[in-house]
Amino acid sequence: MIKAYLDHASATPLRKEVIRAMEPFYGQYFANPMTIYDLGTGVKEKVEEARAQVADLLGAAPERIVFTSSGAEANNMAVKGVALANRKKGNRVIVSAVEHHSVLNSARFLERLDYEVTFLPVDSNGQLDPERLAKTLDEDTVLVSVMHANNEIGTIQHIAAMAALCKDKGVFFHADCVASVGQIPIGVEELGVDLLSISAQPIQGPKGMGALYVRKNVRTMPLIHGGIQERGMRAGTENVPGIIGFGVAAELAAKEIDENRKKLESLRNDLIHGIRERVPKATLTGHPEQRLPGHVSYCFQAIEGEALIFLLSQNGIYANTGSACASKALKLSPVLGALGVAPDVAQGSLVFTLNRTNNRQEIEHVLDTLPGVVERLRMMSPLWKDEIETAE
Amino acid sequence: MYTQKVMDHFASPRNVGEMPDADGIGEVGNPACGDMMTVYIKVEDNRIVDLKYKTFGCVAAIAVSSIVSEMSKGLTLEEAKKMSKKAAAEELGGLPKEKMHCSNLGADALLKAIEDYEAKRDGRKSKDAGPEKEVKTAEDAPEAGSDRHLCAGCGKENPEGASFCMHCGHSLKS
Amino acid sequence: MKFVKNQKSDDQLDLVCRMCPMHLLEPGDKLRCMKKGEVLEVLTDYDQALEDIPNWCERCGQDFIGVEEDDDCYKLYIRKKN
Repeated sequence: MIKAYLDHASATPLRKEVIRAMEPFYGQYFANPMTIYDLGTGVKEKVEEARAQVADLLGAAPERIVFTSSGAEANNMAVKGVALANRKKGNRVIVSAVEHHSVLNSARFLERLDYEVTFLPVDSNGQLDPERLAKTLDEDTVLVSVMHANNEIGTIQHIAAMAALCKDKGVFFHADCVASVGQIPIGVEELGVDLLSISAQPIQGPKGMGALYVRKNVRTMPLIHGGIQERGMRAGTENVPGIIGFGVAAELAAKEIDENRKKLESLRNDLIHGIRERVPKATLTGHPEQRLPGHVSYCFQAIEGEALIFLLSQNGIYANTGSACASKALKLSPVLGALGVAPDVAQGSLVFTLNRTNNRQEIEHVLDTLPGVVERLRMMSPLWKDEIETAE
Repeated sequence: MYTQKVMDHFASPRNVGEMPDADGIGEVGNPACGDMMTVYIKVEDNRIVDLKYKTFGCVAAIAVSSIVSEMSKGLTLEEAKKMSKKAAAEELGGLPKEKMHCSNLGADALLKAIEDYEAKRDGRKSKDAGPEKEVKTAEDAPEAGSDRHLCAGCGKENPEGASFCMHCGHSLKS
Repeated sequence: MKFVKNQKSDDQLDLVCRMCPMHLLEPGDKLRCMKKGEVLEVLTDYDQALEDIPNWCERCGQDFIGVEEDDDCYKLYIRKKN
């Protein structure tokens, strides 16, 4: 039974307006938008309306938006597509060390094609210093990719400053905004980016939908070749219901962003302070102030994340972790590693991602339950005894 | 992901605790890997009459510790030593393949506790009951009062607040 | 084939890396938003475009000015006639 769902970075329930808008496109309006008869052109019109809704969220022109299957695909297209299309300009790509796997692995793939990739380290709050980026840029650099905000630690990067630096040097700049969409403004002109990725699911849109903004004259190689969908940028019969749902979710997110932000910040701060007060030896990870409005991430000494998540879920509380055991590959979160968090502390990682559907009672339930759960695991842990002895 | 029996042992782990007067102690794993078990045994007439443990780890690790504690009470030392690495997993109704190493850990911790008991009983110097790597020579050991973040096992530096070496898993307490 | 050099243009369409038939679809959309007499520069690395675009211009009543070969692509120039 769900008493507090706080893992919105993984999945969000669709808004009823989104479901209502999508339904007819599974039924009556099933035609392929590429067909030339009225059934198809009617659907095409709706697809283009949805594109305009998504473009509005970014302050961009609709023709600059390419729909993809996910934020990950949008990231792949940005990193690989731009690097491959601009090989003559240079063969160097710079990314931060805390990027999403879809950016990191795309960059590693480019290394196999003899691109030089630099993974820039971040400080202990997870921020990349624009000065450091400035010193690293050179005439061989063709693309820089830095995420607007990190899904594991909530830290917000200085995107506008870094994008401006890149613009000066004629280097393309990509920002992965999957974690920040709907929480903080992501206007492409304010941020000054050349490419920007988002996905529908964080804003209560359908899974399986993403989008990439590509500024005019940024040469990008398509990754999925085929027909003429998405102006040849991304082939494949469009996920029409998904696109329609994405459009509605984007329009609502744009309308509610200010009110949303205020509410989230308030709940977030209550949760952060509450945990700090009630649970000893808890470390807040990520930047204490420059963090997403709905993001709370802690590491608890001497306990392990998967066990914590399971015990919480037995109390109706749903959250996430970056611990090794929780990952099928049994590897610790590379993000926490990049912050310099010691492995024995990083194992006890807990991440709450709130959204507009959360409320005060849920936060209270978490604060009432979490201390007991942590204490219970600590009582079982050989490391907690060591902690107490060290304190003595 | 996990069987009913695993979840039961995780939610209500049996025999958790320490034994200040333990006859044998076995410690395996290290926090860098995400799993660590310390097993305490009481032995009478060559039989394990009591077993307690402390575990840092995931659902599987906790469930394995609990089931091993139940399975070993009453066994002779010989019988306990023969407990296969897969026994705990089998008794729990199976574990996901990426968690099978937890089953091995349980068997290893019990084995180490028995070895520790036998070494003490025979008057031998017991093998290190702590994490795998030992201080090799006196020269490797840090001086008293030195920076606790230099590992005694491998000499590498560790960030502040770490209790175990990030590189080799050795305890960072002097 | 008409070759040109340093042809001035009013707008640019970069279709490098884009596959057939985008080199025939995109210019049409672009020209629709331009004024009569304006020149569109189309960048493409698709060899077949050298034949396709002049033919398309003839069929659609647009003026094909010529092509310039660049380092990594062809630059084709179209003047909007209608």
